[in-house]
Amino acid sequence: MRAENERRQRLLRLAAGAVFLAIVAVAVLIVVSSGGSGGDTNLEGKAEVKRLLAGIPQEGMVLGDPRAPVELVEFGDLQCPFCKGYSEEILPPIVEGKVKQGQVKIDFRNFTIIGEQSVPAGAAALAAGEQGRGWNYVELFYRNQGAENSGYADDAFLKAVAKGAGVENIARWEEERQKLTPEVEKTTAEAQQLGFSGTPSFAVKGPSSNGLEPLGRLDSTGAIEEAIEKAS
Amino acid sequence: MRSPNKQFPSEGTLQRLIAFVAALGVGVATYIAIADSGGGAPVCIAGGSGCQTVADSSYSHLLGVNVAVFGIVGYLLLLASAFLASDAARFGGFVVALGGFGFSVYLTYIEVFKIDAICQWCVASAVLMTILFLLNATRLIGYAGAEGDLAADAG
Repeated sequence: MRAENERRQRLLRLAAGAVFLAIVAVAVLIVVSSGGSGGDTNLEGKAEVKRLLAGIPQEGMVLGDPRAPVELVEFGDLQCPFCKGYSEEILPPIVEGKVKQGQVKIDFRNFTIIGEQSVPAGAAALAAGEQGRGWNYVELFYRNQGAENSGYADDAFLKAVAKGAGVENIARWEEERQKLTPEVEKTTAEAQQLGFSGTPSFAVKGPSSNGLEPLGRLDSTGAIEEAIEKAS
Repeated sequence: MRSPNKQFPSEGTLQRLIAFVAALGVGVATYIAIADSGGGAPVCIAGGSGCQTVADSSYSHLLGVNVAVFGIVGYLLLLASAFLASDAARFGGFVVALGGFGFSVYLTYIEVFKIDAICQWCVASAVLMTILFLLNATRLIGYAGAEGDLAADAG
């Protein structure tokens, strides 16, 4: 009985030691991984973007349920201040309403008209889209946008936005963004073919529309909602 | 077989519960591993893309091996420990469940704060591992040092 008690005490002491080690190991793992995404801490609006897009499916640059009947296409330039205003004021009620309800999906396409740096910025967003973070990238870029063509959108800024947007594999993102310039040029040409001359411009496709219908500039949430209703 | 505290369920009951929950865990972890090996992801029952996002993240693999495979091994060890009645099985089961529980806490943290997505199958596995940790801790505290073939003494 005494030997049994001693064995029991020894085992329980060992178990307590194992619990202590486990707590330390988990704490170390969490601390190490929480410090892994440095370089993106100075970006503004991360929490806001995360909240806005939480729980909404993303595929490429398309935000919303892939089965949504209506597709709204935004032709934007990441350097464009009007696009920034749109994304911060006009877009959120639509994302929180019709997109979350699965009535519409929004496709962001690059229409680079501001300057040279708009092209690598657009390609960087597309590469983030390859990892399901395209909209996080676009929204976070807008919230940290600098003055047009001032040179702020350099490689370091693009990378910081990628990290802040939650792009998981930065090496893959770096590799893919180099190859996506033709895609940016393609959608820019598409916007020109649709007759657009400024950003953001919109087009819509739905059961009641005749293919992809150009809408041009829409300056209010109400105007966009009306266009969605009409195409439904 | 004696327990130092009559509030503890019999060791046989604990062993049966551990075996049942560990078998469920083997099923869940095997499903996740098979879904991943086909190049896809577990299907979230309530819809959504959380499982796909989690499966696509770099955290889903450790040393090139899907973390679900480690889960299968852990659940199988726990299942085996439930069929043995010795201090080695009690302590071994406790340590494996403790490791599994700690790893589940870490993975849940990663899902919520790093990947920003929740996979229901991972949550299911974390819940099962938490239950197994509590059962194995109860078994160890209640029966450490006890001798004899407790499996035969079940109930």
